[in-house]
Amino acid sequence: MNLAMVQRILGLMLGMFSLTMLPPVAVSLAYQDGHLQPFLEAFLIIALLAVVLWFPVRHAQRDLRLRDGFMVVALFWVCLGLAGATPFLVTDVPHMSFTDAVFEAVSGFTTTGATVLTGLEALPKSVLYYRQQIQWFGGMGIIVLAVALLPVLGIGGMSLYKAETPGPVKDDRLTPRIAQTAKALWAGYLLLTAACAACYWLAGMGAFDAVVHAFTTMSTGGFSTYDSGLAHFGAAAVEYVAIVFMLAGGTNFALHFLALNRRSLAGYFRDAEFRAYLGILAMLTLVVSCGLYFTGRYDTPLEAFRYGAFQVVSLQTSTGFVTDDFAAWAGALPALLMLATFIGGCAGSTGGGMKVMRWLLVSKQAVVELRRLVHPRGEIVVRLAKRPVGDRIINAVTAFFAIYLMLFGGLTLLLMALGLDQVSAWSAMATSLNNTGPALGSVAANFATAPDAAKWVCAFAMIIGRLEVFTLVVLFTPDFWRR
Amino acid sequence: MNLRMVQKILGLMLAMFSLTMLPPVGVALFYADGHWQPFAISFAIIAAVAAVLWLPVRAERGDLRLRDGFLVVTLFWVCLGLAGATPLLISDQPTLSFTDAVFEAVSGFTTTGATVIIGLDRLPMSILYYRQQIQWFGGMGIIVLAVALLPVLGIGGMSLYKAETPGPVKDQKLTPRITQTAKALWTVYVLLTVICAICYYLAGMSLFDAIVHAYSTLATSGFSTHDASFAYFDSHVIDWIAIVFMFLGGASFALHFTVLRQRALGAYLRDPEFIAYLKMVLALIAFVTVYHIAAGVFPTALSALRHGAFQVISLLTGTGYVTTGFAHWPGALPVLLMLITFIGGCAGSTTGGMKVIRWLLVFKLGINELKRLVHPSAEIPVKIADRFIPTQVVTGVSGFFAIYLIVFGVLMLLLMIIGLDQVTAWSAMASALNNIGPALGEVAAHFQNIPDSAKWVCIVAMIAGRLEIFTLVLLLTPDFWRR
Repeated sequence: MNLAMVQRILGLMLGMFSLTMLPPVAVSLAYQDGHLQPFLEAFLIIALLAVVLWFPVRHAQRDLRLRDGFMVVALFWVCLGLAGATPFLVTDVPHMSFTDAVFEAVSGFTTTGATVLTGLEALPKSVLYYRQQIQWFGGMGIIVLAVALLPVLGIGGMSLYKAETPGPVKDDRLTPRIAQTAKALWAGYLLLTAACAACYWLAGMGAFDAVVHAFTTMSTGGFSTYDSGLAHFGAAAVEYVAIVFMLAGGTNFALHFLALNRRSLAGYFRDAEFRAYLGILAMLTLVVSCGLYFTGRYDTPLEAFRYGAFQVVSLQTSTGFVTDDFAAWAGALPALLMLATFIGGCAGSTGGGMKVMRWLLVSKQAVVELRRLVHPRGEIVVRLAKRPVGDRIINAVTAFFAIYLMLFGGLTLLLMALGLDQVSAWSAMATSLNNTGPALGSVAANFATAPDAAKWVCAFAMIIGRLEVFTLVVLFTPDFWRR
Repeated sequence: MNLRMVQKILGLMLAMFSLTMLPPVGVALFYADGHWQPFAISFAIIAAVAAVLWLPVRAERGDLRLRDGFLVVTLFWVCLGLAGATPLLISDQPTLSFTDAVFEAVSGFTTTGATVIIGLDRLPMSILYYRQQIQWFGGMGIIVLAVALLPVLGIGGMSLYKAETPGPVKDQKLTPRITQTAKALWTVYVLLTVICAICYYLAGMSLFDAIVHAYSTLATSGFSTHDASFAYFDSHVIDWIAIVFMFLGGASFALHFTVLRQRALGAYLRDPEFIAYLKMVLALIAFVTVYHIAAGVFPTALSALRHGAFQVISLLTGTGYVTTGFAHWPGALPVLLMLITFIGGCAGSTTGGMKVIRWLLVFKLGINELKRLVHPSAEIPVKIADRFIPTQVVTGVSGFFAIYLIVFGVLMLLLMIIGLDQVTAWSAMASALNNIGPALGEVAAHFQNIPDSAKWVCIVAMIAGRLEIFTLVLLLTPDFWRR
């Protein structure tokens, strides 16, 4: 373990993060909301902390090794979640307890989008901007994590992507590889965000709203500047723009990079995961739209499609925007939508959940098992895009499923022990672990009424989900710390 | 496919089953409840159907092949479920609709123990006896299925047991092997049932209650002759006897057989699955008891232990007896108890659920995966009790998990579409699929109040769960029917 190096990186990350307090200051000045002081204070506090961390180890120069990667990644979300709460804490507008401030910041960084705030419209512009910006930077972190780091670390079968990602693959030297990949992908992320903001603006949003909603659309975060979310605009054009860019946010950013590089869309459709992702979304949209139409929630098929498609894409990609109170929809629809959050987006996207790739592999494994029963002597293996997938990857994915679901069960029980009813508890845990945002029952719109202890459990679950479970759990094994 | 042979076997099975109508006639005559007629008529009807099926193909010779095995097993539960409903349909005490009669019979045969009948205490003795007897014979069928058939068919990684079960292993010739295994295991089953009945009798049950409750205890099924189930007796001793025998019913009958033959208990402690089962039971009992003491539901620690232990074992083994309405226990306990039903007992027992061995394997996979993250280049095979587990077994378990959870999710959503609320729907499906009996919400005590269509969904789920899903799903694949 190279703790000095980890500390240095953490200091540098905090240093960079302190700079993100400056755009809100600018927003505050531009809109004259008189709220620049908290962000200046937060800037100073975080910068000071960064220096204190960085200065003693500024000469540590060795490369990061595999194990240090786990530490850095876990610390990134935990420390930035705490640091991000600073501007909420040093001010009275909005008035937030320590728990609420951390919950809001962690929910932002993990691009979950669950909020404890109500009355968003009355808040200063700079605070609103800051919340959206947190998610956008969280999304940046996730892209690096998902495309450059998780495959190398080999989390839950994701070593599948190891060979495919661009750049030199060297397990022991993480730094150069990550820097290189990150730059390429961030360019794609930035470009898509700009395109999204332009589309929102053309669809009728104000410039401020267009930019900050583009932030949370591309990061599949789901914070909004209005209590009613995107329903505030009541415009079909805005919703369809959101659908397209949420879809893009739930897609592997390495694919976006390829498409941009080659100036061709063919790469998307050659990708088995992307096709499965679209297929699942289309099927769910069909089911939900039909459900909405036939239960009489909406009068015309077009309206049913508009609201159905929006909610399906928003929840499966783990964005969490809402245009209707979907928790009140009829029959199985609320539960179906919450279950869809477990599927999530593609690997390498900003989406949460268990990822389409893993569901694809597990379903293929189930089919293989059925065929093996009929042909007990046949050599039948799981194939992806005609290439056999190793047993090792299948096992890793199963282990991921098992640990994910056990944690889901355990943490749901914990929420019930803290006093949440069954429906609120399971949906709150699903929304936290899958980084979605809205849930059902008493937490359908926001988490303001949940007990403090439950908020901590959920914040913890958000980080676990974001780190794909293993990255965090491995830190608690004795094997990890043995030298 | 040897359809004529399958038909012959089905005819023989029905003929044997028709004989099980005679003991209730004896009970009716003995207790003079004047209710022997429905059983006599059923005997005639089922025997006639059996003859019609059997006569045209009586000369058929030839061995069953692997594929026929799947068909026979499925037909056994479907046809006997339907046939078992006959006396319930004919009888006017209770008056049951077709749906209810089939639900009750299938719930009995699959040893689920969910009932649609209220007012058990007023029913004729012969009907009460018949319900318990169905479960006992269902248990007999399950033992053969679980110990002799599933390993040979290789369902969901159960080929693990192939090498261990006694008798000659020949995939192509099922019949002699099954006959031999069945006889040995049924001896154990009958012996344990007799001991259990004697214990119940000595503890103060009437002779009738002792025998019929011994039936449903060893079959881990959970029908009772009283609406209040075990709360009717309200006796410490009876509860503890039930705890012990439910626990034994949840252990592998092949293991019981070995222990009896060797006249030493050592075999239990050498079996890794049994040890895991024992540890889990003890941990859960300790947790539930402590939770109860902390919540102060029961007046003394001893009564907390008694009810905690009873309900944990009753649900884990899929028996489903109740001593108190556990659906109203505080906090996380009701859901915890419903979740453990997914674990179930050991493979080769009469219990439902996914079985301890599969959870054990998946748990080891998870541990291995964590180790691999720290040591990426190490080869870490899955081992249980120092024996390597072949990759095919492990991937088989992966496929099983995937199908089980997908079937659970889809059928649960179906129940919600039919109109059940979330709590009722998920717990009813868990109860049906894991062959438990009681659930939460509207179906906490019985299934009478849910719509007919929901009952049929549960019937399918009970059979699917009993056949470890694959056996049933397989029949729906085109591959199975292709020649």
